[in-house]
Amino acid sequence: MQRKPSAVVEILRYGAIFLVLGFFVFPIFWMVLTSFKPEEAIMVSPPRFFFTPTTENYVHALHDKNFLFYIKNTLIISVISTAIVVAFGSLAAYSFARYNVGDGHILFFILSTKMMPAIAVILPYFLIFRDVGKTAVGKSLHLGLDQHGALIVSYVMFNLPFAIWLLVSFFQDIPRSLEHSARLDGLSRIQVLRRVTFPLAAPGIAVTAVFTLIFCWNEFLFAYILTRKAASTVTVGVESFFTLQGILWGPVAAAATISVAPMLIFVLVMQRYMVRGLTFGAVRG
Amino acid sequence: MRKSLASAGLLALLSSGGAFAQECTDPVQITWSTIAGFYTDAMASFVKSFEDANCAKVTVVNIDNSQLYNKQVIEMVGQTGAYDVVTLETAEKAEFAENGFIRPMTAFFADKQDLLNDVSPTLRAMTVEYKGDVWGLPYYTYSAGMFVRQDLLDDPTEKEAFKAKYGYDLAAPTTWEQHRDIAEFFTRKQGDMLKGQPLDKDFYGVGLMAGPFPEIQDEMSAMIWGMGSDWLNAEGKVPVDDVEKAMDMYLRLMPFAPPAALTVTYDGVMNQMKDCQIAMTAGFFLDQWPNAVKTEENCPGATMAAIEAPLKKAYVGGFLLAVSSSSANPEMAEKFVAHIGGPEIQQQFAEMGGASTLTSVLTNPMFATPEKRATNGQYATLNQVFESMAGFSSNLFKTPFGAKIYNTMQIPLQSAASGQISAREAAEQLAADVEKICGGPCPIAN
Amino acid sequence: MPTSPASSGFAAPPAAGRAGLSDRWFSVLLITPAMLITLIFAILPLVQALDVTFRMGDLSRGRIGDYVGLENYRVVFADAAFWQAGWVTVKFTVVAVGLQMILGIGIAFLLHGATFAKGLTRSLLILPLATSAAVTGLFWRYLYDTQFGVMNWMLGNLGLPEPNWLGDYTIALWSVVLFDIWQWTPFVALIALAGLQALPKEPFEAAELDGASRWRVLTTLTFPLLKPVLFLVLVLRTIDCVRLYDAVAVLTRGGPGTATETMTFYLYRTGLKLFRMDYASTMAIFFLYVMLVAAVFALTPLLKQFTDRAKEA
Repeated sequence: MQRKPSAVVEILRYGAIFLVLGFFVFPIFWMVLTSFKPEEAIMVSPPRFFFTPTTENYVHALHDKNFLFYIKNTLIISVISTAIVVAFGSLAAYSFARYNVGDGHILFFILSTKMMPAIAVILPYFLIFRDVGKTAVGKSLHLGLDQHGALIVSYVMFNLPFAIWLLVSFFQDIPRSLEHSARLDGLSRIQVLRRVTFPLAAPGIAVTAVFTLIFCWNEFLFAYILTRKAASTVTVGVESFFTLQGILWGPVAAAATISVAPMLIFVLVMQRYMVRGLTFGAVRG
Repeated sequence: MRKSLASAGLLALLSSGGAFAQECTDPVQITWSTIAGFYTDAMASFVKSFEDANCAKVTVVNIDNSQLYNKQVIEMVGQTGAYDVVTLETAEKAEFAENGFIRPMTAFFADKQDLLNDVSPTLRAMTVEYKGDVWGLPYYTYSAGMFVRQDLLDDPTEKEAFKAKYGYDLAAPTTWEQHRDIAEFFTRKQGDMLKGQPLDKDFYGVGLMAGPFPEIQDEMSAMIWGMGSDWLNAEGKVPVDDVEKAMDMYLRLMPFAPPAALTVTYDGVMNQMKDCQIAMTAGFFLDQWPNAVKTEENCPGATMAAIEAPLKKAYVGGFLLAVSSSSANPEMAEKFVAHIGGPEIQQQFAEMGGASTLTSVLTNPMFATPEKRATNGQYATLNQVFESMAGFSSNLFKTPFGAKIYNTMQIPLQSAASGQISAREAAEQLAADVEKICGGPCPIAN
Repeated sequence: MPTSPASSGFAAPPAAGRAGLSDRWFSVLLITPAMLITLIFAILPLVQALDVTFRMGDLSRGRIGDYVGLENYRVVFADAAFWQAGWVTVKFTVVAVGLQMILGIGIAFLLHGATFAKGLTRSLLILPLATSAAVTGLFWRYLYDTQFGVMNWMLGNLGLPEPNWLGDYTIALWSVVLFDIWQWTPFVALIALAGLQALPKEPFEAAELDGASRWRVLTTLTFPLLKPVLFLVLVLRTIDCVRLYDAVAVLTRGGPGTATETMTFYLYRTGLKLFRMDYASTMAIFFLYVMLVAAVFALTPLLKQFTDRAKEA
């Protein structure tokens, strides 16, 4: 497909790539830089790139504000939500992909639930969890307000539509003949799913997991309304740096860096598996 | 003398220890929702003394100032009882009381009149009482005056130039016209001279809180109250002509403020001051003094002064503590309110630089010393402000729609500040919005 | 004797070849967990919200009250701010999604031809996506600051004008668009890149042998093959941009004035600041209705593709 590119083109290409990456990376770089700045080097004009780095912001965030507690909460909520989304979503997607349940109508319905603005349902959710949290079932599953279960269920609800749509494409990409031969060999339908289909759909599942995790990790509105303290997540925790003396920029930067780090590591690890998955199965090879 | 002191001490020790001869095995749980911040973090340590003395466990929840209102209302409407003690703005008290979100504490304070009387009288009228009942106790006041770079006002070169240009002596402004003149005078470009030295960056005469935040109306309150008018007149309507005039006064200051004025609130203005970019503020919260005084470290030769706003009228108010009506432990909550607003804690709060609400603390001579200037230098001015504003009250704090109005006022005002609409249009839009919120003229309680 | 290979939905009679569930019941069982959650947490709140639109609901006065018929709809439709918010949303979505798609595809082509550091580039490119808009938005506010921000400092040093990114009402919305582009172009770029890399080789080799020009290859081969995946990305981004909240809340709070007040932000202001849940729900229902109508048009081709493939043997 490629003709041999000339050196000039290559230089231009890599120059352009460098600029593009610079644009996307710079704000985050600035954030990380700020996290190491002492207070007097932050809100100054002109902005300073050279200063004596300090770890006091991290100490403040981790120790004074106990930021690790928020990270722990966010980790629990995000991981469990993602696991449930992948599980329920894959099963449902497979059903739509192979059995055409509902002939497309149910599928449309599921995607349309994504279109409801969160603000409109925030109060019904608040009331539902308030009431459910008082029941025995609710208590055992931690579904009350300011409990992890409430957020987990909410996040599962928000990510299911996307997951299902993504995975339907994927499952349809897998040749039926493979599944048929497995059935002929004597495997039950569930076993076929486990041993044949899901492994082949791994890229799609990886993409679903990554985007769901990112969403849960970064979500703000529901975390803010449905939690108070015990189940507060990182995005809500950052708020505690908005003080009566103004925004504490150094600690906020430290907290933000700490909260971005796990996501970055996760994405870096997953990106190898994701590449094929990023086409959403829509490009038929 | 010493012996009686010793025995008094022993008695005190015994009585306080004696409160817990038995162990505190089942502490009463209460939750306090409040604003995040250093002072509030210090408050958390004061909470410990309450817990020990009353066998209670207090959970402090820190919420961002801009979300405090909505978060608390949601919990109270949902009657979750999640917050026992809530923190309110002055403008929100009437609404919360009227809608039954908080419970009256008249009976509780019946035998604590000394404490109520110690609350600065001007504050007390606004933050404690509504329709004859006691609803809360203030613990933190953000009453406004103004901050200026006194060194600029004192500099002989500048004084001479000012007199030559404007015809009167350069001094702390007492009217808004003077304030505008001073703002204009000190707005200079990089390279111009200031105090005989060339500027290495642009300098602006005034720092304004013209961003999309509620503080813009706090700033403008100084102007509209200075005119003798109010946001709501006696009939519960917005006096459009007066609001237009106040808006015009505000707009006349805009050219002398940094462009960032349209995006910031009080912390942005403080950052500008500390970075040697502005000469003074408009009506500004005096509780920010410990922050403002840091300008002296950052800007060579700078001296800060806290003074009263022009016409001696500016935004007065405070954060008050109230008890939620869906609280499971209201008695303990009430005690907590009295504890934080009471003399013992207010004294400690003041020592850390907090803007206390009790007259006994504010007028304590120990805070008037030069050593205490960095933390309590604004007290003298604060006391003057309370004196000047004695007996003052705004109708905004007396209507049960106060909170809603307060949370939407900044839209038309900020639209005008940013140049999208005229002052007249802003005033008219404000009047229309208020009428929509109140469903007609707003009821004003007495 | 193998069971019938055609296990397509409800068209054929249920094949009960093995002991246990028929295919039909199996398929229903598979979707049950997802449907259960959807029913309880999407339908129930939706029904509740719909109910509120017909009542008086001023929460700060403590109650959702009596029925008022269509009064809320009348008030909302007469509200100029509501339509203004809708217009801001449309402006934002069209520009943001348009630019993201163009830039994203462009970057994908740029990276597709690169020969090394692909993994590193992909990893760096995904950085903005991995962050929370509520948190990085805050830093963008700092970057945009005219007094302390790096952007204007750089522009000033280059002799360029220094705009008031968030304070100038004529450009504030585009500043928010820029932030959204920064965060989401990588999404488009990475997907387009993956699509490019998944393209089959044969058609392109054949075209090269035929001596087709690059332009011709692009228009007749590359884009038609990429169309399905690009369309899906377009739909997803549009849905997200239309519901934009975090970026506006943290960068401009709808300001200056209401210049950047998108529909969801106006909803937030009405529902959680003024606590008029009746108006907020009405606006939300109307919004949902508009989205559904648009979705029917946009999604039908995609849906058809899914159901066709599902019906295949």
